[in-house]
Amino acid sequence: MELFDTATVLTRVLTTGVVMSIEKNDRELPGLERLLTKRTGRARAVLVNSRSAAVHSALAGQGIGHGDEIRQRGLGEKDRAFLAWLGVTVREDGPEDATPAFDHIALDAGDVHRLGELAAEATAPALVVDLTGLGFGPAAAVLTDDPALQARAERLKIFGAYDLRTMWTQQEDAADLVPGVQFNYRLSPLVAACVRMALGQATRTPASSGAAS
Amino acid sequence: MITDFPKNPLPLPDPAEVGAELAAFGGGQIIPKDLRRTVFPVITKEDVFTLMLAQRQAPEKVVADFAEAYRAYVGAGWALPTASGTSSLHLALVGAGVQPGDEVIVPAFTFIATAQAVVAAHAVPVFVDIDPRTYCMDPEAAAAAITGRTRAIMPVHVHGLPADVPALRALADKHGIALVEDASHAHSARIGEQVAGSFGDAAGQSLMADKNFPLGGEGGIAFFREESAYRRAADYVRRHGIDYEMSWIAAAFGSGQLARLPYYDAVRARNARVLGQALDETGLFSAPYVPEGHVHAYNMYRIGLHPERAGLEDLPVWAVKEAVHELLVAEGVPAREWQNTPIPCHLPFRHRDGFGGGYPFSLNPGAVRDHRPQDFPVTVGMLESTLVLCRELRAPVEYERLLRYADAFRKVARRPDAIRKLVADGDYRRPYEKAARLG
Repeated sequence: MELFDTATVLTRVLTTGVVMSIEKNDRELPGLERLLTKRTGRARAVLVNSRSAAVHSALAGQGIGHGDEIRQRGLGEKDRAFLAWLGVTVREDGPEDATPAFDHIALDAGDVHRLGELAAEATAPALVVDLTGLGFGPAAAVLTDDPALQARAERLKIFGAYDLRTMWTQQEDAADLVPGVQFNYRLSPLVAACVRMALGQATRTPASSGAAS
Repeated sequence: MITDFPKNPLPLPDPAEVGAELAAFGGGQIIPKDLRRTVFPVITKEDVFTLMLAQRQAPEKVVADFAEAYRAYVGAGWALPTASGTSSLHLALVGAGVQPGDEVIVPAFTFIATAQAVVAAHAVPVFVDIDPRTYCMDPEAAAAAITGRTRAIMPVHVHGLPADVPALRALADKHGIALVEDASHAHSARIGEQVAGSFGDAAGQSLMADKNFPLGGEGGIAFFREESAYRRAADYVRRHGIDYEMSWIAAAFGSGQLARLPYYDAVRARNARVLGQALDETGLFSAPYVPEGHVHAYNMYRIGLHPERAGLEDLPVWAVKEAVHELLVAEGVPAREWQNTPIPCHLPFRHRDGFGGGYPFSLNPGAVRDHRPQDFPVTVGMLESTLVLCRELRAPVEYERLLRYADAFRKVARRPDAIRKLVADGDYRRPYEKAARLG
């Protein structure tokens, strides 16, 4: 990444004075959500502060929790350890072409331009995109077309609140949105701004594939 | 360019405004609508330069240097930087030896993260009432809640006032259990010369950008007295594949802010003193109580209401509070409730689904209670009779703004007739009868 660009982006966000993730004037988090949905062809994005947070959100978004079982092949040791901590059992048997609970992509500076192409190959209801490799600290997102998945994942990450309008109340219309354990998985706007810059620059790099832009 | 530079200065206070008609009844506002913006955190050229330098360093070094500088400031033994306050509390509990199914005693009045961190540690929060003056955990209530499965007591230094650490320490020692602090409001708060975060066997602290000590967005830090506790927490996240690391961007911002923290603390303390004197002179309002030898950090400033001193003793205090709240907001002082019901009455602790299927509550059904707000009478009484200033006093506000806050309280306190009229006309409800609010 060009240092000049990171410096400019960080200075720009600092100048706005908005560095908190739950400020109504923040534009960086919604901006990154929009870019990720566009790039992956999914309708909705949930930004979080790490890969394990994204895995947790992808599962909780589908109502998968402690005592449940998923069929998923090829997970790394770290993801498997995290799923065990969540109380989710992973089974590797079953048909080879069965749809997994979530797909996952880890991007770094070398393959950031391939996001669209990699997302197009993913078939699961939730796509975990690990953005940590871009170099701005832990960052990740869950992409989905399922509004209920997004709603539940958002509530896991911000103590039951979905957006700034509902930030201060826990009243819910839908019974299946009643929160269980809640974390603070919120991504910082400064980190989001840098990630957004890195993804944006990737479109200017000649892509080796038909990545959506 | 989008900037946080304030476009217009606030006029100096004018004594005539205090006697004028209330804004809620058509009079002028003490702080007009377009002059209410309070900038926080304060971001300076040093913060920008620190971030510029940080991007040329190894990210791990930026985070480690920050954590070490702040650990030394707090005087804690070991520090583990994290992504949020909640994750820091989770790791503080783990480091203190909390195991799945253990009971952890927490106050019924706090932010919900305190109790959710206990659930994150696969343990069960046991809620107790607070002290009526400090609003922190009542040591006697904590003592009454200890069972054979209690592994830790986790007091919260609510709003920035240290809890009764000597009494809680003695209680923990008597039962051979851990004392874990939730210091999320209490940056630079002290008892004597000792800083919050260094009192307990472990502590967790939020460093999000809306805290007295703000990082660049979201962050937290866990402190440990002993190396063994630190190692236990560090091993735990590795073993379970949990990503709780702090971003170097958040840390670099914090390094710049740390150098100026004592300055902002001094401004907060001065402003709290000036406003407190004005409040105590009104009769209707009272300043936060601070025990001898304690230093309050004033992350939030909770103001007491005393209807009996204004001839309003026949009205329910919660109705007086709601009327006063309306009048203050109309004057341009955005006072808040900050919590309206005890935490055990929030949805996640009424349903107790936890990680799914009721885990970890299912590990220890004997520790689980179906609570009503009335189970915590001191908390309910406090929620019904107090209002809070948050960012409005956390920020190093202009002196004229501080004086205008004082004038707004004076103006409202002079009008018990208006409060009585609002209560008579208003359809007010007790705070806990409304939907539980996060803040």
